Amino acid sequence: MSTIPGEAGSERVFLRKASGLIKSASNTDVFIFDIGLVSVGIGLGGLLLYGPGVYMGGDLFIAVLLAGAAMMLIGLGMLCWTVTIPRSGGIYVFASRSLWPPLAFMLSFAEASAWLFYSAFAAYYVTTIGIAPAVTTIGIIAHSQSLITAGTDLASKGWVFGIGTALEIFGAWLLISGMRRFFLSQKIVFAVAVVGTLILIGALAASSRSSFIHTYNTLMGPHLNVGRDAYHGTIVAASHHGWSNPGFTWSQTLKASNWAFLPLIGAAFSISIGGEIKQVTRGQSIGIVGAIIWSVIAWIVVFVLVYHVMGYNFLSATTYSSLNSVPGASTPVTPWITLLAGIMTNSTVLTALIALGFIAWVWLWLPSQVAYGNRAIMAWSLDRVFPDRFGRVSERTHTPVAAIALATLMAIVFLGLFTFTTYFLSVVFIEVGLAAWTITLAAGTLFPYRRPDLYEKSPISGVRPFGVPVMTIVCALGTIAGVAYFLDLWFDSFAAGHSWHSLSILLGWFAGGFVIYWIMKLYRARHGVNVDLAFKDIPVE
Amino acid sequence: MFSSRHRRNSTSRLTLFFATDVHGSTVCFKKFINAAKFYGADVLILGGDVSGKMVVPIARQPDGTHLSSFAGKTVRLDSDEEIANFSRRVADMGFYPQRMTEGEFTELQADPERQHQLFRQLITERIEEWVQWARPRLAETGVKCYAAPGNDDEFFIDDVIGRSGVIELLEMQVVEIDGLEMLSTGWSNATPWKTERECSEDELKAKISEMLTRVRDPALAIFNIHVPPYQTALDQCPELDAELRPVHHGGNPVMTSAGSTAVRELIETYRPVLGLHGHIHEGRGVAHIGPTVCVNPGSNYSEGVLNGSLIRLEDGRVADVQLTQG
Repeated sequence: MSTIPGEAGSERVFLRKASGLIKSASNTDVFIFDIGLVSVGIGLGGLLLYGPGVYMGGDLFIAVLLAGAAMMLIGLGMLCWTVTIPRSGGIYVFASRSLWPPLAFMLSFAEASAWLFYSAFAAYYVTTIGIAPAVTTIGIIAHSQSLITAGTDLASKGWVFGIGTALEIFGAWLLISGMRRFFLSQKIVFAVAVVGTLILIGALAASSRSSFIHTYNTLMGPHLNVGRDAYHGTIVAASHHGWSNPGFTWSQTLKASNWAFLPLIGAAFSISIGGEIKQVTRGQSIGIVGAIIWSVIAWIVVFVLVYHVMGYNFLSATTYSSLNSVPGASTPVTPWITLLAGIMTNSTVLTALIALGFIAWVWLWLPSQVAYGNRAIMAWSLDRVFPDRFGRVSERTHTPVAAIALATLMAIVFLGLFTFTTYFLSVVFIEVGLAAWTITLAAGTLFPYRRPDLYEKSPISGVRPFGVPVMTIVCALGTIAGVAYFLDLWFDSFAAGHSWHSLSILLGWFAGGFVIYWIMKLYRARHGVNVDLAFKDIPVE
Repeated sequence: MFSSRHRRNSTSRLTLFFATDVHGSTVCFKKFINAAKFYGADVLILGGDVSGKMVVPIARQPDGTHLSSFAGKTVRLDSDEEIANFSRRVADMGFYPQRMTEGEFTELQADPERQHQLFRQLITERIEEWVQWARPRLAETGVKCYAAPGNDDEFFIDDVIGRSGVIELLEMQVVEIDGLEMLSTGWSNATPWKTERECSEDELKAKISEMLTRVRDPALAIFNIHVPPYQTALDQCPELDAELRPVHHGGNPVMTSAGSTAVRELIETYRPVLGLHGHIHEGRGVAHIGPTVCVNPGSNYSEGVLNGSLIRLEDGRVADVQLTQG
C-alpha cells in the first residue's frame, strides 16, 4: 500500500450530514499558543544572568541552539503521542494507555507537580526579574533613593512571596471566572510581552558601547565602590574575586543551555489541550517547531545586541559580582537584563515598558501552568485515582473550582519553599518533569509495536521511514534528547544537580505519586470500585 | 406523584454499562457487547449516533490497482490483502469501505441521492452484521441490551435495530429496568449541521414530557436523553464560527455549551435518579444537577477506544459512577 500526498480537501470520500464535522483550527492559533508558553522573557533573564555569571566560558549562542534542537526532538515525540491519542490531560493519557497504571499515575503526578512548580517559579520571577529591577532602575535614573530602597526591599523574600502569592490567587480567579476571560487576558498579555521585547531590541539597536559605558558610570557609579569608571572597575573588582573569562568551553556551554531548555519546554504544552480540538498533524508541528525556532531567534538577536552594547566581559563580571557578593561591585539588586537595559536607556518610561514586557512573558506561565495542573487533577479524579470533588465542575462558574484551588495551593506552597528554603533553590523540578516526559517518550518508541490496534488509527501510522514507524523513530530521538538533558541537569549543581536534596525531591516526588495511587486504589476497592478498569482494554473478539 | 420516600424496600443492586456515539465503529460496538462480561454489568445501554459519517470508496483503476483515501491522503492498494486490511481499519474507525469501479465512483460523486442510498445500504448492513455478531454473545451472558438512536441517525435505523431481536429499541419508549423506569430519546436541540433528529427546545421538551406521562415516579426514573443538559461539564464543546471552524483566543480553543435547556429544565423539575447522555464527544464527565447524577462517557470511537460508564445502582439510587476507556 502506498500513500500519495494530495491537496487538502481532495479526499475521495462521501460525507453525510452529521454533527461534529468541523474544519481545523488555523496554524496561527496553535503557533501563538505554543510561543506564548515558551516565555522568551524567562529565557532571556536566566540566560543573561546565569549564563555569563555562573557558566563563564559558556557560549550562549551554541547553548540555545543545542537546547532548541533537543526540545524540538522532545516536542515532536510528544506530538506523535498527541496525534495518536488526542485527548487532553498531558502525559497521563498516553502513559495510562501504554504503561502499568501506577507508573502512569506516578509520571503524571510528577509532570503536573513540575508544571505547578514552574508556576511558582514564574510567580517568583515576576518580582525578581520584573518589578524589583524596574523600580530600582527607575530610582537610579530619577535619582530617587526611596525608589532604589523600595526596589531593594521588593527583592526581599517577604515581598517576593507576598507578590507571588497575590499573583497566583489572581491567576486562579481568572481561571475560575471562565476560560474565555482567561484566554482573552493571555492574548492581551502576549501582545504586551511582544511589544516589550521589540522595545528592548529597538533600544539595544539604538545604543552603543560608549554610550552604555557613559550611562552606566554616571547612573550606577555612585551606587558602587569600584571607582569613577564603574564599568571597567566592576570587571577589575570581579577578577580580584575569582572571576575570569576562560574562553569557550563545551562543559559550560552545555550547562548554560539548561537555562534555555527550561522555558523551551513550554513549546510542547499544546499536548495538554489535544482533546479540545483534534488538530491536524501539520498545525501542531508548525506550532511546536515554530515556537522553538522563533524563540531561539529572538534570544540570539538579543544576545548579539547585548554583547555589542554591554560587552560580554562586563556582563559576566557584573552578574558574577552580584551572585558572589563581590564587595563594592554588587548592584543594588540582581543585575537582570531588565536592570541593565533600563540603565542603558536612561529613561524611566522605557525602563517601565521593557520591564512590563518581561513581566508579561513571565505572567504567561503563571496561570497557564495552573491550568495544565488542574487538567491533570481532573483526569485523575475522573479515573477515580484522586478524590471525586476535584473532578467536579462548579454549577455557577462552570469551571473546576476545586481542582484550580488545589493546583493554586500547590503552586503557592512551591513558591514558599522556593523563596524561603534552600531545598528548592535550584530548578530541580525540571529533572522531575523531564524524567516523566522521557519515560513517556521511551514508551512511545515501543507503542506502535505494543499497541498496533491503536497506532494503526493514528494519522501518522502510514509514515514508515525505512519500514520503521515514524513514532518509533521520533520518540527514540526524543528519548535520547531527554536523557541528554536529564544528564546535563544532573551534572549541573547550580541548576539542578544530584545532591542529596535534589535526589530526595526527584525520588520523593515519584514515590509520592506511587503512594497516592495505591492509597486511592485501596480506598476505592473498599467501596467496590476497581480503578484498574478505567484503563483496561476490552477484548474485541 | 410518588415521592422519593416511596422507594423500593428491598436492597437491590444493578450495574449498568452505558456507552454512546460509536458512529459506526465496529470495534467499539464489539467492545460494547463484550463489556457486559468484562465489567460484570447486568444491563448494556448503547446511546445514540450509531451511524458512521463517511463512505470510503475503494475504486478499481484500469491498471488493476485500487484507489482510496485516508486521513487526507490518497491511498493506492495493490492486492486483495491490502484492500481487506484497509477496509478493516476503515470499518474500525466507523467509516464504510465500499469497493466500486472508478466509473461508479465518478457517477456517485455527481449524484447526492445515490450517495444517500448507498449510505442507507451500508449503515443497515453494518448494524445487521453487528446484530449477527452480538446474538450468540448476548445469549451466552443473558444480559439485556438496549439501544437508542441519536440525532445523527436517520429514522430507518429504528426499524433495523427494532427487528434485531437481541437489542431492544428505546426511542420514545419507557422501559422498566429493575424497578426503575427509563425514558429514552435521541432527539436533540438544534445543531449547526441540521441533522435528522433535531427540533426546537420547546418541541424537545414536549417529546420528553409526553414520555413522562407514562412514568409512574419521575424521581425513580432514568433519563436516557442523547443531548446533555445545558451548562454542565457534559456539554462543553469547541465554539464554531460560521464556517464551522473552532474559535480561538490567543491560540486557545474557546469552549461553549451546546446542551439542551429543555433537558436541564426537566431534570431540575423532576429530579430523576440518573441522566445518561452523549452527543458531545468532548464532554466526558459526571455532573450533578440537584440529586440527579448525569453522565456523559464521551466518545473516542475513531481510535477504537470505547468510552463507557459503569454505573452501580443500589436500592434505586446511584451508588457509584466509574468512567472507563476500554
